[in-house]
Amino acid sequence: MGLGADDPSDLIKRIAQGDRESFGRFYDLYAPLVFTLATRVLRSRTEAEDLLQDVFLQAWRQAGSYEKGRGSPEAWLITITRSRAIDKLRSVRRRDKGIVPSDDPAYSETAGRVESGEKESEAKVMVGSALARLPDAQARVLELAYFDGMSQSEIAARLGEPLGTVKTRMRDGLERLRGFLGAKRVSGVS
Amino acid sequence: MNHNEWLEQAEIYALGALDEEERARFEAHLAAGCSVCENRLRETGEALSLLPKSLEPLPPPPSVKARLLAQIGSRAAARTARVRQRTQWLPWGIGAGALVAASLLFMVGWNIIATRQEIQSLEGRVAQLRKDLAQREETVRLLFDPEVRLVQLSGLEPSPGAQARLFWNPVSRTGVLFTTGLPSIPSEKAYELWAIAGKEPLPAGVFTVEAGGRALFRLPPLPEGVSFDKFAVTVEPAGGVPKPTGPMVLLGTL
Repeated sequence: MGLGADDPSDLIKRIAQGDRESFGRFYDLYAPLVFTLATRVLRSRTEAEDLLQDVFLQAWRQAGSYEKGRGSPEAWLITITRSRAIDKLRSVRRRDKGIVPSDDPAYSETAGRVESGEKESEAKVMVGSALARLPDAQARVLELAYFDGMSQSEIAARLGEPLGTVKTRMRDGLERLRGFLGAKRVSGVS
Repeated sequence: MNHNEWLEQAEIYALGALDEEERARFEAHLAAGCSVCENRLRETGEALSLLPKSLEPLPPPPSVKARLLAQIGSRAAARTARVRQRTQWLPWGIGAGALVAASLLFMVGWNIIATRQEIQSLEGRVAQLRKDLAQREETVRLLFDPEVRLVQLSGLEPSPGAQARLFWNPVSRTGVLFTTGLPSIPSEKAYELWAIAGKEPLPAGVFTVEAGGRALFRLPPLPEGVSFDKFAVTVEPAGGVPKPTGPMVLLGTL
């Protein structure tokens, strides 16, 4: 990070005061991450574009209620993105169960992709990433929960493994992730 | 349950993978004010941010930024237009629960037909309209959800004849507000909804009203981990403010 780089917490403070320029810089900083995550969860670029817009609109409106003590701006945005994306995914799945009939082709197309779960997403997992450094079994349960919005029992059923095994893999995987984060902080900026 | 088990639940909760019943129990534990679990949630949330960063980055199309900047520049105007569209079919006065849901469903259906005709003549607006439809269907689904709670808001001193109903889903953190009898206000002002936890009001969105003081307003998703006990509406500058400054016109308790 070079000199004069924006401190994200300061940007949020200025956004809360209605500063559009800071909002533009904040967008440039995080939009690729938000868009990548949204595309992976929703498996649709069009849906991801809509979500990207919604997430930043929410950030603009709720910048005033952001609290530094509850996590970094990046984690805050990621949480908003993921929870909205998963909500969207689940509502499409519920719709597929026939609660509300719909013949919107865009949605049934998305639903088909989501349900298959096996097709390649547009956003691919990078080799050498934190996820790639986890044992496969741990990475798999984290991916299914985090990116595909599945609950622990759904994952157990999907993998044909006991629930206890799934829980253990999740916790072990998370512990390693926390370890990576700690290591990164200790070694400083690479 | 001993506290270590709660901490384990906190991790799986942060991952979003607790099953419904466990999730409700854990949220109740959080709402009771457990700072140890809150810390664990925050730490796990930071660690989880490594997962999206493990993905090969995709650059977003530049059109989104342009749309956003235009949108935040003319938020008040756009919002008025959207609320106007939605309130055309406002079913105020029908009973709560299934009746409201059924009539909304009918009206959404009716609206889909009307909207389709518009799509044929106005190609450029297709994307926006599709989004509106999805929002309306989401509204209907919200009303069907067994988790939904009904909050009655009563008019206060400035407009005692006003009232509102809020269908609030504490699990999905969203809801729909129907108002009636709110006085019309100048265009530089708007009504702002607040979700209150104890004495802490959180902004829950800005809306304007139609003739008869009516509005149908869909709440943006509110932050998780906060248990709201009251909802209120105040009069604020059109863009909304982070903390209430104007007079309170509606108040209701969950």
